[in-house]
Amino acid sequence: MLPRFELSQPQTLPEALKALAGGVGQPLAGGTNLFPDLRGGREKGDTFISLSQVGELRYIEHTDNRVTLGSGATISDILRDPQMKIAAPALVAASDIFAGAMVRNAATIGGNVCCGSPSADSVPPLLTLGADVTLASASGERTLPLDEFYLDYKKTVMKPDELLASISWTPPTPGSAHLFYKLSRRKGDAITITGISVLVEAEGGKCKTVRIALGSVAPTIFRAHEAEGMLAGRVLTSELIEEAAQSAAGQCKPISDNRASAEYRLLTAHSLTRRLLRQAWKQAS
Amino acid sequence: MNQVDTSPNAIPNVNLRQVGKNKPRNDSPTKVYGKAIYAGDLIMDDMLFAKVLHSDRACADIKSIDVSVAKTLPGVHSVLTADDLPATNAVMTDMPGQVGGGTKNTKQPILAKERVRFYGEPIALVAAESYELAQRALDLIVVDYEDTEGVYDAFDAQKPDAPIVYGNDNIVAAYKVRKGDIEKGFQEADFVLENTYSSQYQEQAFLEPEAAVAWVDEHDILNIRSSTQVVEHFRAVADALGMPHNKVHLQAPYVGGGFGGKEVMTIEVWLALLAMDAQRPVKLKQTRENSFISHGPRHPFTITHKTGVTKDGKITAAKITLTSDAGAYAKLSPYILLYATVGATGPYRVDNLWIDSTSAATNNLPTCAYRGFGTMQATTACEAQMEELSKLIGLDSLEFRRKNFIQTGDPNATGQIIRSAVWSDQCATKAREALGDKPKSTEHTVYGHGLACYQQSYGRIRWMKDTSESWVGLEMDGTLIVRCAVTDIGAGQMSALAQIAGEVLGVPMEEITVYFGDGHVNPLAGTSTASRALYMTGKATELAAKNVRNNLFECMAEYFDVRPEELDLGDSKVFVQDNPERCMSVKDMAKHCAAQGVHRHSLEIYRAPPSEGLDPETGQGEVFPDFTYGAHAATVAVDTDTGEVTVIKSVGAHDVGQSINRQAVEGQIEGSALMGQGFALSEELILEKGVLKNGSFSEYLIPTSEDVPEIESIILESRSGLGPFGSKGIGEPVFSPVAASIVNAVADAIGTRIHHLPLTPEKVLTAINEEKTKEAAE
Amino acid sequence: MSSEKAVTLRVNGNEVNIITPAHRTLLEALRHEGFVEIKSGCEKGDCGACAVLLDGVPVDSCITLAWHAEGRDVTTIKGLGNSDSPDPLQKAFIETGGAQCGYCTPGMIIAAKALLNENPEPSLDDIKKALSGNLCRCTGYTKIFEAVQIAAEDLRKEGEAA
Repeated sequence: MLPRFELSQPQTLPEALKALAGGVGQPLAGGTNLFPDLRGGREKGDTFISLSQVGELRYIEHTDNRVTLGSGATISDILRDPQMKIAAPALVAASDIFAGAMVRNAATIGGNVCCGSPSADSVPPLLTLGADVTLASASGERTLPLDEFYLDYKKTVMKPDELLASISWTPPTPGSAHLFYKLSRRKGDAITITGISVLVEAEGGKCKTVRIALGSVAPTIFRAHEAEGMLAGRVLTSELIEEAAQSAAGQCKPISDNRASAEYRLLTAHSLTRRLLRQAWKQAS
Repeated sequence: MNQVDTSPNAIPNVNLRQVGKNKPRNDSPTKVYGKAIYAGDLIMDDMLFAKVLHSDRACADIKSIDVSVAKTLPGVHSVLTADDLPATNAVMTDMPGQVGGGTKNTKQPILAKERVRFYGEPIALVAAESYELAQRALDLIVVDYEDTEGVYDAFDAQKPDAPIVYGNDNIVAAYKVRKGDIEKGFQEADFVLENTYSSQYQEQAFLEPEAAVAWVDEHDILNIRSSTQVVEHFRAVADALGMPHNKVHLQAPYVGGGFGGKEVMTIEVWLALLAMDAQRPVKLKQTRENSFISHGPRHPFTITHKTGVTKDGKITAAKITLTSDAGAYAKLSPYILLYATVGATGPYRVDNLWIDSTSAATNNLPTCAYRGFGTMQATTACEAQMEELSKLIGLDSLEFRRKNFIQTGDPNATGQIIRSAVWSDQCATKAREALGDKPKSTEHTVYGHGLACYQQSYGRIRWMKDTSESWVGLEMDGTLIVRCAVTDIGAGQMSALAQIAGEVLGVPMEEITVYFGDGHVNPLAGTSTASRALYMTGKATELAAKNVRNNLFECMAEYFDVRPEELDLGDSKVFVQDNPERCMSVKDMAKHCAAQGVHRHSLEIYRAPPSEGLDPETGQGEVFPDFTYGAHAATVAVDTDTGEVTVIKSVGAHDVGQSINRQAVEGQIEGSALMGQGFALSEELILEKGVLKNGSFSEYLIPTSEDVPEIESIILESRSGLGPFGSKGIGEPVFSPVAASIVNAVADAIGTRIHHLPLTPEKVLTAINEEKTKEAAE
Repeated sequence: MSSEKAVTLRVNGNEVNIITPAHRTLLEALRHEGFVEIKSGCEKGDCGACAVLLDGVPVDSCITLAWHAEGRDVTTIKGLGNSDSPDPLQKAFIETGGAQCGYCTPGMIIAAKALLNENPEPSLDDIKKALSGNLCRCTGYTKIFEAVQIAAEDLRKEGEAA
């Protein structure tokens, strides 16, 4: 049983933006997070603007050197897109173990990114792709790096009248490695304890590009820029990787909860970053 | 007692046509076509919908309950608190069943009055025109609480200054076993090993939350259609309401899983009160969150084993203490403690034995029946100790077990002589063989093999004097009817009866209708608990079918001019064994016998062997009708970076006596493999000062399809059990060793043992790192 | 009071008209209409007992609004087949013993049906993935996997014969 609410069902993006501009109502995407939270009293709201009829938000576009995901694309849409395995291998890996099959059919990428949960599984892979997010409102659009999107636990830079319209990135170069590891208390349909994504592009025996993102180990999912800086342009030796992993772990501000303690999250953030960097380097070089 | 050849290679002279075969269950079609109606699916005219106000704190005085506003809400028809209830305000939570309660007359308030003792204790009931209205009424009820000091640990509860949860002290039950001379036994030992093992709360997590519909009919009979394992609760409902037993009609449609959680009464009495008050049908379907607090989860146990062994592997003495957390009300805690006490030594013979066991009241969730019923927790500790002992003396762990297995004719912990086959060795050998070679370790992964054996009773405690009845009748068209009020909770309880009656009377099970789950229309069968349903109801059905067969044979012997013992039934025909050409269809036989005035039906009762209880000083006596023996083995992979455990292979090998439906036996083994895996690795109710913190399916993690290992079922048949055709009970037995085998496999993989379950990735990683530190120091 | 709306949808091919407020889930709305073959196990998308096909796609009806089903096709377990004309999955679940207590079965078969529609030759891993949102406490899933494999085989043979 859900608490009572009013629902508007705009059919087009301008209608949805207009409804948002009205200042009454919050966007509702797939509802796979919002409905359980409403039911459990963790979220409140008496008016929602459903985005599920806004067909123009649900698309996946591959152009010359850019991939764009409409915010209404579902996790299953990502899995069904044959080019995505090359355009975002870790995003596919994360989608593959995202909740259960039925939830994947309903949950949208926009909803997962915007909920601001530290355990949102699509976010670490998108961060390591260096993705940008495009926010739309009745008064226009703005695009910014996803890396600058999160402010704090469940807080983003989005204004109340804004909507996430799309997410886009440049696919990793052929031969690069893009990995994701989800650590959880069971294999299927579980909330992440520690979620790590790593991207490594190598050139001439050296690491050309490296991105590291860590989930569930701080109030927001974040990029380990310092660790990335230690690795970029260098040969990734075991020692260097270990230092970088330590640095990444040093940036974590985990909490203890029912799933794991803060100490365990720190330990595994460290060991999994190390493992993924090693794997990625081996794969890319 | 059955006299059987219990040697492994004995092939009894039986020629079974249906029993033991793979047969599609007769309850499957209605379920797969979406036609099966569960308790919460019933829709009645004029029906109201109920909600329950559960306490949101674990230990508090209730200063006042204000329902005045809630009552005025339009569409709300009934709001009940303790003040509206019969003065006794109590419901029996003792062993339900055929012969009334057991020896511990445990009662629990129906609704909390002056005090709440656990998180979730019911305080008020509401019936309204919709669930939504009922919920709004609940939200308008104001309870003024004053928190008081509670006790949240079974050991703290036994301290002299502990707050008393109820009654005179916090000791809910205690047992002792004194056998032989443990001082002498420990002196004879070359090694003495002491370890403490503890285990957690486990939730039944049946897929169908508690649900029921109650209504008063035109004969003033209170009808309740409920998701229960026990229709005999009609008596307790009647007693609670001050009604005659024969005015309460409780029936169970298909039950969406029980596992013990629907053994003690859950929501029936609440519905009864609302239906009587509103005089309209009332439905209640618990939410998943409320389901977590509407029945008792598995008891956490702390078990200490001190064991003496000789260097060649013979156990010389054991001193064992067991402590369980009973929570805020006793429910079935005393019996569960008794099962754990009997199971403390597993399937091993220990002649010098000292056991003390205690169950203590706390302000935690009241714990209750759950598949394995204390034996499972005891097995998990015992098998860990067996593994550690074999490591200590440097003997292969199966070889070590072999030296100590109970054999037929040996006494178990309480001195009960085991009379059926004990095939522990055969089962363990086959289970371990099936694992094959252990995979080689890789960069981040180590592998382990684990084994566990058990002794688990089937049938209820013998001084409960358990009985079951069943009725079998041959219709004029040659079809059969079985009437038996067994509840069908998903294990094929109903289907097995068709297979059994069909075997005896030569009718294919497709032509048999079983009426079940309704004890006012069908003969009472007792509970679907204690791995007794097949044993007891199957036996009663077998006996009834045999009576019918005897009646028919007497008549047909005259017809064929042979002696009755020269006849046989099979493939819907009666025939002369030596000359099968001389035959008649069952249909024609039914008509012929009817014309001769022959009884074509029979009502039979099966009574389990009774006993008179234990000697309170020595703990010696006959507790159970019989036991099932077997083994489970597992291969695990452990990630050394994260501590994640993956079960790769899971093998159950069990002597089931005689399988009735092979496929159903495999279903029990496979289901157990996953439920036991959940207990070993991921399942744990988290309570903080009695308050449940993870009561939902996103936080309480039962295994999913992606957690399934390769599962192998090895079924052995000694035909030595007390059940129909020599069968033994299996529902709990096949579950009891699973977690222990996985825990032992993890210990094998990481080279150290974790003593507190479940083995979360965090605990496993901590153990790996501690072991590394220890090795580095050495 | 939230506003109510008349919603027309098709359930197993038959038109159904319901008047319902916005916050009503598809599960609640359809069970209220008597489609009690859709089971309710958690009401928050954790267990899959309430799965139905919405325009052929399996969803948890407990976290789908009734309003969102407007004008769409809902298929429940009863829409897949019956004893006269069973779906191969239903036949296979009977054959293997894939149903025990039966409460997860309708949702489980719905999820399996969607898999076979999309992937007629699923591997064991594909099956595990497709059923990852459907909890079962009785069977250990093993006989369910077998049933899906048998049904896939049957469908393949049917296809060859046609």
